[in-house]
Amino acid sequence: MPVIKDVVCTFCGCLCDDLEVTVEDNKITKVGKACKLGRAKTMGMFLHERIEKPMIRKNGKDSELEECSYDEAITKAAEILVAAKRPISYGWCSTSCEAIEKAVVLAEETGSLFDSTANVCHGPSALATQEKGAPSCSLGTAKNYADLIIFWGCNPVHAHPRHQTRYSTMAKGAFTPNGKKDKKMIVVDPRNTDTAKKADLLLQLNPGTDYVLVEALRAIVNGHADVLPDEIAGIPKATVMEAAEMCKAAKFTVIYFGMGVTQTRGRYKSGDNVSSLVSDLSQTNKVVMIPMRGHYNVTGFGQVAAWEAGFPMALDFSRGVAYYNPGETGTNDVLMRREVDAFITGAADPGAHFPQESIKYLYKIPAIQVDGYANPTTEFSDVVIPAAIAGVECEGTAYRMDSQPIRMKKLIETTFKSDEEILTEIIAKVRELKGEGGA
Amino acid sequence: MAEMIIKNGVVYDPKNSVDGEKNEICIKDGKIVDNVGAGAKVLDAEGCLVMPGGVDGHTHCAGKINTARIMSPHDMRYSPIPGLSGPEPRTKLLRPQVGYNTPNTHAIGYRYSKLGYTTIAEAAITPMMARHMHEEFESIPILDKLALVLMGSNWQVMQYIQDGDSEMLKSYMAWALLASRGYGVKIVNPGGGSNWTWGKNVTGIDDKVIDFDVTPADILIGLAEANEALNLPHSIHVHCNNLGVPGNLPTTLDTMKLLERVKASQDRQVMHLTHMQFHSYTGTSWMDFASGSDQIADYINKHDHLTFDMGQMIFGPAMTMTADGPTEYRNARMFDAKWSNYDQELEDAGGIVPLAYTPQHFAHATMWSIGLELALLVKDPWKVMFTTDNPNGGAFVNYPEGQVLLMSDKKRQEVIAGFPDMTMDRISLPNIDRELDWGEMTVMTRSMPAKMLGLEEKGHLGAGADADVAIYDVKPDKVDVSVEHEAVKKALGFAKYTIKGGEIVVRDGDITALPKGKVYWVNAYENGIVQTEKDRLITDLEERFKKYYSMQFSNYMVEDAYVPRPVEVRPEVA
Amino acid sequence: MQTVTLTPKRSPVISIEAEMITPDVFAGKSDAEIGAIPAWEGNEEITLADVFDVAVDGSADAAGTKIIIDGNVPRVKRIGEAMTAGEIVVKGDVDMRCGALMSGGSITVEGNADSWVGREMTGGEILVKGNATYYAGGGYRGETCGMRGGKLTIEGDVLDYLGEHMCGGEILVKGNARLLPGVLNWSGTITIEGDTTLPGGEMKSGTIFVKGKVLEMLPSYKDEGTEEVDGVTYRKYTGDLSRNGEGVLYVSV
Repeated sequence: MPVIKDVVCTFCGCLCDDLEVTVEDNKITKVGKACKLGRAKTMGMFLHERIEKPMIRKNGKDSELEECSYDEAITKAAEILVAAKRPISYGWCSTSCEAIEKAVVLAEETGSLFDSTANVCHGPSALATQEKGAPSCSLGTAKNYADLIIFWGCNPVHAHPRHQTRYSTMAKGAFTPNGKKDKKMIVVDPRNTDTAKKADLLLQLNPGTDYVLVEALRAIVNGHADVLPDEIAGIPKATVMEAAEMCKAAKFTVIYFGMGVTQTRGRYKSGDNVSSLVSDLSQTNKVVMIPMRGHYNVTGFGQVAAWEAGFPMALDFSRGVAYYNPGETGTNDVLMRREVDAFITGAADPGAHFPQESIKYLYKIPAIQVDGYANPTTEFSDVVIPAAIAGVECEGTAYRMDSQPIRMKKLIETTFKSDEEILTEIIAKVRELKGEGGA
Repeated sequence: MAEMIIKNGVVYDPKNSVDGEKNEICIKDGKIVDNVGAGAKVLDAEGCLVMPGGVDGHTHCAGKINTARIMSPHDMRYSPIPGLSGPEPRTKLLRPQVGYNTPNTHAIGYRYSKLGYTTIAEAAITPMMARHMHEEFESIPILDKLALVLMGSNWQVMQYIQDGDSEMLKSYMAWALLASRGYGVKIVNPGGGSNWTWGKNVTGIDDKVIDFDVTPADILIGLAEANEALNLPHSIHVHCNNLGVPGNLPTTLDTMKLLERVKASQDRQVMHLTHMQFHSYTGTSWMDFASGSDQIADYINKHDHLTFDMGQMIFGPAMTMTADGPTEYRNARMFDAKWSNYDQELEDAGGIVPLAYTPQHFAHATMWSIGLELALLVKDPWKVMFTTDNPNGGAFVNYPEGQVLLMSDKKRQEVIAGFPDMTMDRISLPNIDRELDWGEMTVMTRSMPAKMLGLEEKGHLGAGADADVAIYDVKPDKVDVSVEHEAVKKALGFAKYTIKGGEIVVRDGDITALPKGKVYWVNAYENGIVQTEKDRLITDLEERFKKYYSMQFSNYMVEDAYVPRPVEVRPEVA
Repeated sequence: MQTVTLTPKRSPVISIEAEMITPDVFAGKSDAEIGAIPAWEGNEEITLADVFDVAVDGSADAAGTKIIIDGNVPRVKRIGEAMTAGEIVVKGDVDMRCGALMSGGSITVEGNADSWVGREMTGGEILVKGNATYYAGGGYRGETCGMRGGKLTIEGDVLDYLGEHMCGGEILVKGNARLLPGVLNWSGTITIEGDTTLPGGEMKSGTIFVKGKVLEMLPSYKDEGTEEVDGVTYRKYTGDLSRNGEGVLYVSV
């Protein structure tokens, strides 16, 4: 049986690249080494409802989706985008960088807003980087060196199941040859999560008080413990002091931070204050931070958009060159204001993840979906274009949560077009409609 | 684009001893040739300055710069040099452009081309991150590119040097260039990157690296000797220890002396020292810090085994990015500035910090002076490359400013007049009246970088060279650069013509075509390493990957898909 | 003296970007010339005449020019951007970035202002008679400094990050300020007459007065006892010690 080795898993930002996939008769029959989530993703087409054919609604939102040709769907998509004054292109995080590059071009040429799923997850991490920088390291460095792991507002046991064995608490590295025995773990979370249950110290803070806790930790590190009250963020001062002592005793600390930091009160201000905590601690100790990214290539979206157009998300091309201001140009910022008059999404499911108010509005405007699977977004889409699954049916580049690019493999043949091909064809059609040939 | 002839230009081609002569330049199929047919397209240069296309042998333009972009959305709106910076909407031909120190990839290609530059060398990439760099390379239009690969804090390198296993060291270096599709060997703060993973540094070339029984000196000598044994086209390219530290002069001199004992495998230096400005400081602190350029220049004037580049500072906002992690952390704390850091497993460190340089601060004024002093005090222009260490000392769009400073004492004195008094006893620049001529400028910006890198088809206009040509709206026989420096600066910023591979890509300062550039890389592995040594290396690497890397060995090497227009250079096997 | 009256003709849903609505641009221009000034509605370039009826009375330089927007413009962004002199009065609400980068003159908003009112202003005065939302007097993404000078007054409430990255000038909020006013401040003075939450996060220096209640206090400020300022007794705190800051936070007792 043909087994493809060292396959890159395209579920989460861990981008594990050691999967062993068995393919028989162009079907994936076994996925070795993957976690539950990765296995389900890799075998997805046999578990989820695939979009089989391009479809369009011919008579408005209330009419049924009808099957059509790729050409017809692509033409319709181009017509919608060209007619729009304030179109938005959203998603593109569970696809290849090569597709994202095309999505940038399409957004430029249609004067669109252009945004990633970071709008509802790790966008604040990018904002924190703008404020304070990103003192980070590669996951292999973390594996080899770190003797203190802090999970802040994330729960890898459930969201990134192999993280701990491959990169963090349980991983054996050059200076941590005994794995778990050589490491300590702190968890910062309002809930006693399954990750927290294994921690050496749990800082169970009140919801939404991350910023306050970082402030206290920085005050301790900078020699001002005396001013702190007896309780901080719902945690006894002594416990916070203990956490600071653990950081000072460690040779190499990694803070992995998740949406518990980025999507709670204070949002990116908490994240950027963690960055300053890292800088403060670095006067005497080695400390870094790494975001626990969800969608496997949301990091790649940020990278591609930044090098192609200058900014990692929330780009507004309406005036021919990107303007960037999350809060003003982010997807939900403009959807909530009902400013958008056309919507295209790919490799993401806003229908499942957006606030109710945004979704209600999406039912009112022309919407285009490019995806391999039917999902809640399909329900309000007027044009539905089936796509090959990147990393399974076509190859391409993805960026791990530590910004390490890895090439995804093609495992099986498909008759579906890739996101890259679909976008290339929409661009060509847009140029035709606008009378802009060439280039 | 088959045939073209450039007539009526005043040509500077120092490699071929052409010094401001009205020679015709013939182009056929992207190359310079001796003759073309009668039907060749005629380009009338109208008495203007003609040079080979510029070669930037040390710039940070792909890879790490992307983190700097994400850190600095505000930079995207800076536009101190209209036409070469800031936001510009898309056109039917051009993609949108943004930025000053950290422009998007398209802007990098357009703006270098407008300056008449056609080849750039990314100065620092780890093998593991090379895939990212190549993605950006592919997105930068027009220019030819190459990459220098970081090896000065690499575990394999340090292990094999510690073991005294020069064969494994050679094999690994050749393999790392193959794996990254890289061109040459870069050494940044040797050993310091490894120590920085523990939050420490080294303070000189004889310090110990924490985890290996080697010193920076051992790393420098080991890599230099292996570099020559592999007969690589470029020498080792070195960023010394103690960058930016007052009193770092002895470290720099020690490094230069250390390399005297290494023999070059071909007609070039055995070491290129980069951004020398940042390494030429006397004193013991910022209070008594002063220029050490005279001592550096004196040594270089008396020795022929090395070349250097300036790392000229440009006043205004800059973005520092380097594999020198501890330096960036120090900068960030000193200026309360934002700070990014990246420790790349087994390979190197790195950091990014935005800074701003001002002529009102004596330290910055002194640093600005040192870069110019070095270039003016070293007699032989073939030892000097013009750089700003883009964008560490300043953004590359300021090259015309820096170049004119070298050509006009008057302009220098105008700037110096605004310096605080505290600067004056720290610098020697006010007493240096040398003004470089066009031939010397051509050497420092074209011919020397090409020779230093071993790029035979670049940096000159002889038959066989790539047809990369820059024509500027300057009449060398009529203009007095010393006085008319502002007009010359403008002309150098917006080429009358830039020709890339025989195609006109800039006309009157505007982009006219967007060919895709080549990527040069060196394959010293295929023929250069015998099979038994390859086997020995691969066995060891597989073991190291299993234990220490976070990526599978089979997924590590840059795939061909990322280098669609490669130029593979295979060194002769000694 | 020149008075330019812009009367809104319609209520756009897509925000209009109209950074040319400034006394500097309008000075000495006729109604036809002003009507022809470009603006943007999404990706479409339009003119001011597409959105407003324009009436001009008199002719003057920027300092002598007064612009009256006679109606509600909650979807017109960037009014008064980078203005250096003159006066703008808006008889209703304005959209984002009103008065951004302003260095002189005055803007009065009789209704509410959306986010980033007075962003990076260096001089002049802005008065908002209603509420403002996020980042009033704040900075641009990635920039070290927000507001550097001038005065920003909001008679109603504001939401989060009032005076973020402030490097100078004066902000007065007569109502409440929600979360983290004065975050990452370097300098300048903020006065909040109502209540607020977590004032002065990572303040390096600068001064914040809170005349109402601090609903939640940062743990990293040092209590320096009471002090009287302009006849009001405050509890004085210094910080933010999380970053060895030397700012002063006065909270009324």
